[in-house]
Amino acid sequence: MSTGLFEIGADGVDSQKIMAEIQETVAAKMQSGAYAGAQLARAERFNLMNMKKDENFFDFYMESLREAVFIDINDFEIRERRAAFAPLLVKLKKTIWGLLKFYTYRLWSQQNQVNGLLLSATEEVDKKYRDKIKSLEERIVKLESRLPPP
Amino acid sequence: MSTLPRIAFVSPRFSEGPTVGGAETLLRQLAERLVVKGWQVDYLTTCARNHFTWENEILPGRVSIAGITVHYFPVDSGRDLDTFISVQNRISRGAEITRDEELSWQKNNVNSQALYQYLKTEGHQYDRIVMGPYLFALVYFSSQIHPDRTLLLPCLHDESFAYLKTVREMFLNVKGWIFNSEPEQQLARRLYGLDISKSHIVGMGLAEFATDPAAFRQRHQLNSPYLIYSGRREPMKGTPILLDYLEVFRERTGVDMKLVLTGSGPYDPPPQLAPHILDLGFVPEKEKHDAMSGAVAFCHPSVNESFSIVILESWLAGAPVLVHGAGEVMLDHCRKSNGGLWFRNYPEFEESLLLLLTRQGLRESMGKAGKRYVQAHYSWSSVESRLLAALS
Repeated sequence: MSTGLFEIGADGVDSQKIMAEIQETVAAKMQSGAYAGAQLARAERFNLMNMKKDENFFDFYMESLREAVFIDINDFEIRERRAAFAPLLVKLKKTIWGLLKFYTYRLWSQQNQVNGLLLSATEEVDKKYRDKIKSLEERIVKLESRLPPP
Repeated sequence: MSTLPRIAFVSPRFSEGPTVGGAETLLRQLAERLVVKGWQVDYLTTCARNHFTWENEILPGRVSIAGITVHYFPVDSGRDLDTFISVQNRISRGAEITRDEELSWQKNNVNSQALYQYLKTEGHQYDRIVMGPYLFALVYFSSQIHPDRTLLLPCLHDESFAYLKTVREMFLNVKGWIFNSEPEQQLARRLYGLDISKSHIVGMGLAEFATDPAAFRQRHQLNSPYLIYSGRREPMKGTPILLDYLEVFRERTGVDMKLVLTGSGPYDPPPQLAPHILDLGFVPEKEKHDAMSGAVAFCHPSVNESFSIVILESWLAGAPVLVHGAGEVMLDHCRKSNGGLWFRNYPEFEESLLLLLTRQGLRESMGKAGKRYVQAHYSWSSVESRLLAALS
């Protein structure tokens, strides 16, 4: 079986070189925070399984999660785009919101607490296993140093 | 006539149209090439068409199709689906299961006692028996009948099923293996410790075709750039990743990038993306190739491919590809051909797609490089010579 069976080159194009440049650009942009936010965390929800071998990306994903974990439950300005009856409609919306707020605020703040707790738990698990792996690696190095030379 | 080599292919379904998977298409194509070469080719399969219900829809018996004698055998009734699904779910989750549990999963998988009986009584007439794909019980039990003349064409992926003890036993029990790519061959060596000198890489041949991207755009009034994906739409194929990524891409970059889909399967696009998807369903090959040729890239987000016919088709259509970098087979195709880029996460997807979108020259060069790769290694003449070497 010839291992070189499928070797082929294409004049002028080098995918690996282009990918190396893309990865450099991505790393720089990540550092600058260009890819932070809930949007990115959402985009990766189905890709997490494929990232298990990519330790750096897990850090980035956790950072995105930190950005996304707390939803904004503060009051917001109520507007009306339709000109006709605008003041009346705004007043109606404010009344409805005033009634709903009492219930939804409680629900959303609880959801925020749950989100925060889940994130903390994930960070703890991550830290625990990183520490464990580090100590095991150190132990292996120590044990290997005791082996007689081959 | 009796001196002609005789071969049987064994597979759960016979490819009669676009509704079957790549493995069945591959087996049928190889069978047809051997007919042309003068071999006597039998194809042993089940009466099922639907890979969810496995209902017997075709009458049992023998039919000659394109020179192949297709033997249809009924799927066994009385499957214990509760046991099957419960064990399958545990395997999918990567849970530890015993060999007995694996066997109960195999016994309640798709089986055909009639087919096994035929192989027992008639199998000795065949010089070679080629069977696949690996994760069907029909292949597992068939491989035990005449292992000395059986070649496995597994279409192997790095997934939890590949780690089963029974699957390992099947690989070690047969005479040889036909792989579709080097990464698949290496995976089998790593998982089962195979002596890969007994294996061959064959793949599937593709014939060249002409395309008309302008006509496709006109037919569908497509004035924006688009990505294309062809094939089954399902989580295992990475469809949800593509949908999420494209939605975020549109949001972040403001580029009106559309998505053209051909093939089948339900999917659930984000609401903002839905109006920008052109879902053509099953289309004639010509329509698919026209669609591919006009795309910014063919995007394949799956990490579970053992060959990927569609990305080779895309290269023949002149379009570069954008694949998931965790899919070793497609990554290997891209590295060797220089016909595509890859991504492991959203940021890489965004950067790669923007590059392909804005650099027309690069896009064309990559499409051409991919085409040269297919012409050099996946023309039927080169595939045939590798297939004959494998069977000898």
